[in-house]
Amino acid sequence: MKGISAIKNFFKGLPQKIKGIPSRLSARFAGAKEILTQGNGKVTASMLVMGLGQLMYRQWVKGFMFLFIQIAFIAYFILTGATDLFGFFTLGTREGNAWYGIEGDNSVVMLIMGILAILILILYIAVYISNVKDVYRTQCAVDCLKKPLAFKSEISALLDKSFYKTALALPVIGVCVFSILPIVFMILIAFTNYGDNIVPPALVDWVGFANFGKILSLGQFAPTFFKIFGWNMLWAVLSTAINYFAGLGLALLLNKKCVKGKAIWRAFPILAYAIPGFITLLGFKFMFSYGGPINYYIQQAGGEAVGFLGLDAKWSARFIGLAVNAWISIPSTMLLATGILSNVNTDLYEAARVDGASAWKQFIKITLPYVLFATTPVLISQFIGNFNNFGIFYFLRGGLYVDGYFLASDTDLLINWLYNMSIDNNYYSIGAAISLVIFIITSVISLTVYVLSPSYKQEETFR
Amino acid sequence: MNKSKAKVAKAKTKKILNVLITYCILIIVAFVFFFPCLWLILASFSKSGSIYSFDGFFPKEYGLDAFKALFTDTVMYNYPKWFLNTLFIAVMSCVLGTLLTILTAYCMSRFRFKSRKAMMKTTLLLGMFPSFMGTIAVYLIMTQFNLINQQWGLILIYSAQAPMGYMVQKGFFDTIPYSIDEAARIDGASNFTVFVKFILPLSKPMLVYTALTSFTWPWSDFILPKMLLIDKDLYTVAVGLMSLGETEFARFAAGSIFIAIPIIVLYFCLVKYMINGMAAGAVKE
Repeated sequence: MKGISAIKNFFKGLPQKIKGIPSRLSARFAGAKEILTQGNGKVTASMLVMGLGQLMYRQWVKGFMFLFIQIAFIAYFILTGATDLFGFFTLGTREGNAWYGIEGDNSVVMLIMGILAILILILYIAVYISNVKDVYRTQCAVDCLKKPLAFKSEISALLDKSFYKTALALPVIGVCVFSILPIVFMILIAFTNYGDNIVPPALVDWVGFANFGKILSLGQFAPTFFKIFGWNMLWAVLSTAINYFAGLGLALLLNKKCVKGKAIWRAFPILAYAIPGFITLLGFKFMFSYGGPINYYIQQAGGEAVGFLGLDAKWSARFIGLAVNAWISIPSTMLLATGILSNVNTDLYEAARVDGASAWKQFIKITLPYVLFATTPVLISQFIGNFNNFGIFYFLRGGLYVDGYFLASDTDLLINWLYNMSIDNNYYSIGAAISLVIFIITSVISLTVYVLSPSYKQEETFR
Repeated sequence: MNKSKAKVAKAKTKKILNVLITYCILIIVAFVFFFPCLWLILASFSKSGSIYSFDGFFPKEYGLDAFKALFTDTVMYNYPKWFLNTLFIAVMSCVLGTLLTILTAYCMSRFRFKSRKAMMKTTLLLGMFPSFMGTIAVYLIMTQFNLINQQWGLILIYSAQAPMGYMVQKGFFDTIPYSIDEAARIDGASNFTVFVKFILPLSKPMLVYTALTSFTWPWSDFILPKMLLIDKDLYTVAVGLMSLGETEFARFAAGSIFIAIPIIVLYFCLVKYMINGMAAGAVKE
């Protein structure tokens, strides 16, 4: 019941936020209106040609910089920008044909360049607005009989008051190009028919929600999707629970007073943690392979070699996956829990002991709530990490396709399927649609868990 | 009198039992974590390379052949080259990535500007997408920029994506009291000076943590290099080792040990920073 009310409260806040939008918008427009009505001729000049107003105020360097940006943008727009932008909507009209020597349109490149053009356009508009605002600010300063800011002092402001602009410029550009652009691209791809036999030089087209329909209903994709999804959920819950509680238990064990030489005992899990994941995974694959040591002992004992990770090893491969994942992930949880346990208020335990609470009671009533409180965000990110744990089954059983599954095996998670579909088999648009489904699932789960969690409900309890 | 004595004795045996069980579990844990590592180490010293010539976990004959082959027999598998490639990519991405991440985190922690909330929410949202969802697009972008089959392409991607994980560092900067900034600013220091002269020296643990995490990622990543590097001579160790089969098991083990050792040494030297860094990132959100 409590949880439901928490969600209710979360959504209760929404109408107010929506109500706030008009007033916030009008506040924005009020600023624009002020500039439009109060601005003098020089402001208008800057509106027409970027930097002109600044030049009229004798702010040479800044004025020419704005002017240069405008010229560069216009040149870009005439040379490629306009066609790129147009190409974004059509995705190409001329199909290439090597036979007749026609060089056709490459729809995919057109899509990505179109997104880039839109990003540049947005950036340009932002610069344009800041240009108008800047000249208006200068006008206000001059009206108050102050001198317009010298270029030198504006440069030094970039290291002081607006240091964040300087510092964030590179990261923002990097994230835009290498994180946002690709994700936007893939989101859009989910609504096209790119993939299978429609790859350039064939023309790609917008198809709306058809790909999602294909995944969720009938066809070759739907049964595989639901089978994989079920196992994926089970995997995420089980592995997160195992890793979390085992890691916490290990940290508590090492925290016991009677344990001597803690650093040495701790060294073993850290060793496991430090080895790069792909080595561990490949090593375990060798260990459970047909010629591997486990099978050697089975054969020595008179048994038959078992294909633990073979074609029809469903549950044994799944259990090995869980165990190997635990081997890799428990140490990091242990380190985290160690760090958090060292911050627990020891007075609480003292008081509990005086009151005669047993060790188990202390764990349930003090340690667990505190650790859960402190690690909820980590728990959520671990859950998502496990939900999208690509490496485990990619290395243990990579490239295996099992009957009854379309381009997947019975241990594959959605993310492995996504990889098989889009990178190994060219089903790009279906792959993109799957990744959107994964996104929706993980974000809904993590939002719900976060809203229900004590760290959200009572932020100040332990501080 | 007797009764209380018995009680004390009972408590004592209980305590001893407790200690005994604790140590038993610890020994089992240590064995579970150490044995696979030991197995790999032993395998690297096996005389014949194939996994089929082992007595279970243990090689039949020991020798240094695998290591020798690793560094001398470079026609098929040029391990020394792979190692240098990996080192170059990892070090460059570590330097650039750490710089960008720290700058981002500092700005997000200390400045209040208009688009701050929007940027934080955007990164949170972006983090929810499956990690290599955009890989195909990245591949296409790299072909457009002509950066396929080049190490700088990889470095560019790693360092450009690093600032997405700034939350831990921001949490750390939030714990450095503002009074330091204010005192320095009263003395006339600019924000840039405050950052370089006061904040950076105070955040050494966080710098170490950031550098370590942004070093290990390219060091052990395999998806991007596998996709973007075509020439065998440009491979990183991760991609190279993946191409070794069961008959080259000893060579795989030797190569793994060589690439794992630097990381293991780093982790053991820096484990204190790791614990603090993780805890700082966990509590603050």
